[in-house]
Amino acid sequence: MTGAAQAGPRPGVAGQPPGKGTGEPATAIPGQPDMWVLVLFEALVFTAYFAVYLFHRSAHSELFLRSQATLNPWLGTLDTLLLLASSLFMLRCVQAARAGAFRPALTSACITAFLGAGFLASKITEWVLLVHGGHGFTSNEFFAYYFFLTGIHFLHLLIGFVVIGVIIYQLRGPARRSRELVETCATYWHTVDLLWVLIFSLLYVVR
Amino acid sequence: MSRTIAESVTPPGPPAGSRLGRIAWHWRNNSKRELWFAWYTTVVFYNIFFIVFFPVTHAQPPPHPYWSDAQVAYWFNHDHDGLIIGFAIIFAVAAMTAPQNALIAYSMRRMSVSRAFGYSYLVMYSLSALPGMLLLCVVLSVGALRPGRDPAQLHWLYDFGFLSFTGTMGIFLLGSLVWMLAILLDKNRVLPKWFGYLNLCNALTEVVVAPAWIFHRGVFSWNGLISWWINMVVFGIYTGAFITLLRNMILREDFGDGPLPDIKKNPEATASALAGTAQ
Amino acid sequence: MNAQAKRRSLTTWLILSAITLGYLALDRSADDHGAYRASSVVTTTAILLALVKARLIFREFMQVRNAPALLCRLTDLWVLLIGAVLLGSYFTGLAVR
Repeated sequence: MTGAAQAGPRPGVAGQPPGKGTGEPATAIPGQPDMWVLVLFEALVFTAYFAVYLFHRSAHSELFLRSQATLNPWLGTLDTLLLLASSLFMLRCVQAARAGAFRPALTSACITAFLGAGFLASKITEWVLLVHGGHGFTSNEFFAYYFFLTGIHFLHLLIGFVVIGVIIYQLRGPARRSRELVETCATYWHTVDLLWVLIFSLLYVVR
Repeated sequence: MSRTIAESVTPPGPPAGSRLGRIAWHWRNNSKRELWFAWYTTVVFYNIFFIVFFPVTHAQPPPHPYWSDAQVAYWFNHDHDGLIIGFAIIFAVAAMTAPQNALIAYSMRRMSVSRAFGYSYLVMYSLSALPGMLLLCVVLSVGALRPGRDPAQLHWLYDFGFLSFTGTMGIFLLGSLVWMLAILLDKNRVLPKWFGYLNLCNALTEVVVAPAWIFHRGVFSWNGLISWWINMVVFGIYTGAFITLLRNMILREDFGDGPLPDIKKNPEATASALAGTAQ
Repeated sequence: MNAQAKRRSLTTWLILSAITLGYLALDRSADDHGAYRASSVVTTTAILLALVKARLIFREFMQVRNAPALLCRLTDLWVLLIGAVLLGSYFTGLAVR
């Protein structure tokens, strides 16, 4: 178990793509396999939270529906679009890094961070609006779930900024530029997007 | 480059014979005996901890936060013997947490990262036994000590005990992050990167448990489906993982400075790794 | 960078965004003159759409499409598992109400 997850130097380390300049790799796990362990594990943990939410929702549907009606679906949609766009630019960043185009890769990483910051601003705005409208963490069961799920996701997003920082740090130093690390970090960022996609549908749309 | 210390004085291996004889040999000759001592202490401690906290004292899963004074008083009286005896055992074996912390700190010393990681983890976790275990034990023992105690007072002790146990997670959060950082920066492959990421999951469980300070009932209370049950599953997986990985680390340990070698898969090599003898 | 890869990722993003906007339409249709009402159809549709998006993110953005078969199957299994758990818990909750 200890040896398997510690892959030795793979083709493509330090910015040299195996599929020369195509940006499309041969069959290879994107990034460290270890990050995938985290991705799949966190997905399960969040799914457990979602299951609890959905189960209790059915038991108190009137309360949940009433409370859900106070949410702003436009803001939720904006949040989703922002994260999806950030994932697109993260993918661009990885593709550019693989092809050796490090300046475009850095630009894409910065745009990813910018879009992520947009999500943060939107989320904070929404929270403030809700709290001013009298709906807080302890208001009722729905809002307990709402603030918990969006809060824990927010935390994951903050960690995502650290991860983007790692990417930028890697890309800026010619001696660094570990392709595996960039892909690993990208995998994490996409997970944050993936989790939000699920959260959005469960909090804003599900009836 | 790895510099393995020459093992000139170690005899080839344990003699064939009785189990006791082999254990005696290991005790005298195994260069990894302190590491194994720490590891076995960890395993034994967690077993004692589980048995005491779950079936003996019924302190875990925690009883309900929304109980009335009378219900709390009933719980203390009903579990009187279990509480007193169980926590007396914990007080006796509490020091077993020290070798565990030492082994984890040792893993960080073996890594290529700064010694500050290991030392700061050691300091943090030395203090962690207080809110993480002992306060609950003391408080609930005090509650159980005098069966005629005022139910309102018992309720106070009950709240104090369980909140201190469940809610004071900052130290564990920081400790997990320190270990995570050390593992991710490490070049000696002491522990796998996936376990570094699992430390992040464990750190986040400490955040998930925080709503227990606010909610008296429901899934976010101190015995709730999310704050306790799901959290416990994550913690259980994490604990099982690190106990296994620390064992692997000891097997692979070559007392050098460079990357740890992988475990070789044959019986003689395993015996040699256990004994810390040269191959 | 490969132009084909760029086009593919852009297409994926457009599809994902379109599904997201489609949620708004779903959201509107679920309202009974402004009042929200419970609906298993809306819930099931919302969850299934989310799973479609999740799989697209796995395959295209996270590049599982180019990954070894094990990872492909694992992520597909995960999507199925998440779907089963979500739908299962929703309908179980309805059943025991």
